[in-house]
Amino acid sequence: MNIQIENLTFRYPNGVLALRGVSLHIASGELVAIIGQNGAGKTTLVKHLNGLLLPSQGRVLIGDWDTRQYSVAKLAQRVGYVFQNPDEQLFTKTVADEIAFGPRNLGYPKERIETLVEDALHLTHLETMRSMNPYDLSPTWRKMVAVASILAMDTPILVFDEPTTGQDAASVARLASIIAELRRRGKTVLTITHDIDFCAENFERVIVMGGGQVLLDGTAKDVLGQEEILAQTYVDPPQITRLGLRLGLTEVVCTPQEFLDAFERRCSA
Amino acid sequence: MHERLSFYIKRDSPLHRLNPLTKLTLIFGLILPAFLVPFYWTPHLLLIVVVFPLAFLGRVQREYFAASARLILPVAGFLFVMQALFIPGGETVLAKAWFLTLTKESLMFAFANAMRIMVMVSSFTLFMLTTHPSELMSDLTQRGLPGQFAYVIIATLQIIPQMQAKANTIIAAQRSRGLDTESSFARRIRALVPLVGPLVFGSLVEVEERAIAIEARGFTSSRPKTSLREIVDRPLDKGLRWFLLFVMLAALLSRIWFS
Repeated sequence: MNIQIENLTFRYPNGVLALRGVSLHIASGELVAIIGQNGAGKTTLVKHLNGLLLPSQGRVLIGDWDTRQYSVAKLAQRVGYVFQNPDEQLFTKTVADEIAFGPRNLGYPKERIETLVEDALHLTHLETMRSMNPYDLSPTWRKMVAVASILAMDTPILVFDEPTTGQDAASVARLASIIAELRRRGKTVLTITHDIDFCAENFERVIVMGGGQVLLDGTAKDVLGQEEILAQTYVDPPQITRLGLRLGLTEVVCTPQEFLDAFERRCSA
Repeated sequence: MHERLSFYIKRDSPLHRLNPLTKLTLIFGLILPAFLVPFYWTPHLLLIVVVFPLAFLGRVQREYFAASARLILPVAGFLFVMQALFIPGGETVLAKAWFLTLTKESLMFAFANAMRIMVMVSSFTLFMLTTHPSELMSDLTQRGLPGQFAYVIIATLQIIPQMQAKANTIIAAQRSRGLDTESSFARRIRALVPLVGPLVFGSLVEVEERAIAIEARGFTSSRPKTSLREIVDRPLDKGLRWFLLFVMLAALLSRIWFS
């Protein structure tokens, strides 16, 4: 499902102009990372995707739906949004119930809900914890419950707001494998992140925001090599990319493997 | 983005620059005369001659009048109607309908009472708008108020805006999961459970975290503490406080004298 954002401007009631004319097209099945300093407008932008915020000017289309004409609950059929803090949404007695809450709201038939819950439990490695109380789990696993509760809604578009914040390496790896699986299934995934390595290793398209505008938009390689523009919004390229740049490698590298390949080519040349 | 954590509005004005204790005294310097001085027009005059100009002096007139319209007027208005209709006595009958009589005396009495309420709530509103809660607390603890008291007061002042901010995030998160909070009444009632759970639990966790955080900074230590905030107490403040004390005393005496 396509996302079409046209000249989106948003002003908060307190007068802060958070988005100044953002236009983006995100095609079905794309993996997109959004990066930029705090206050750049990243969260404000993605809150427009499911109607939590409505444009002051411009418009946002999710497929053929204009977000201004549909309620948040309705848009939840198309856009799943994983909030930063899982504690702000968990309320049931068991993990499985928590995961079933979203699909039940969407009115799916019983059998489909069961399959979706099983699938979400499997993707997040929560199968053995299904009947535990979410609050008895560690914060990293609570995060997985929150992720699973959105996965089970089976929406064509998924938004993650800083999924790796406060997560250990194992949890970050799980998130990476979930995102890879979502890509295989043809879902559109947007992720806000400050974790630049996570961004470089898992996303094809990177959008850089600063001051309520899109500063850069392109493939990870195109974007992450532009140190100067990234510095405007206080983002450092991944260490491996900077090392490649300092060594004067001809191409921009984003992962250790790419670095090794490029370095080998240079040595043998 | 930034949720307001108190009613305080950061501006630079003579009222903002006053010492918090002076402003606290000012509240009582307004309320006591409004209630005690037996001269009929006292509360009305205080409101027009002192409170309104103070709102302009503090450069918070817009917020002050907005708050008054939403907060004070309905209460004062209700009181006015109740008292005007149900206070017995009074000879000059103005209107009569069914068992209700409206006399000139009860009308005047009700009007004065409504004005007293206005003065009382107004002066508190002005105080809250121009005084940062932590400035007030720093000042009072430096003058010897026990820290525990200060904490209770400041936590009370801040809990509503904090809970509100938290509730808004929770509502947004659950609506994103397809929770319908907008249609029929029955659905809204059912929608409460997923909202109240995280709110209550989150608040409890927050209380614990806060207790640990302040204890980590030596909250219950009995040694004298220094403060990061320098709170100015100018001679003007001291003078004003003495003057206000005199006003309060005069109000009390006038009450005793004339009745």
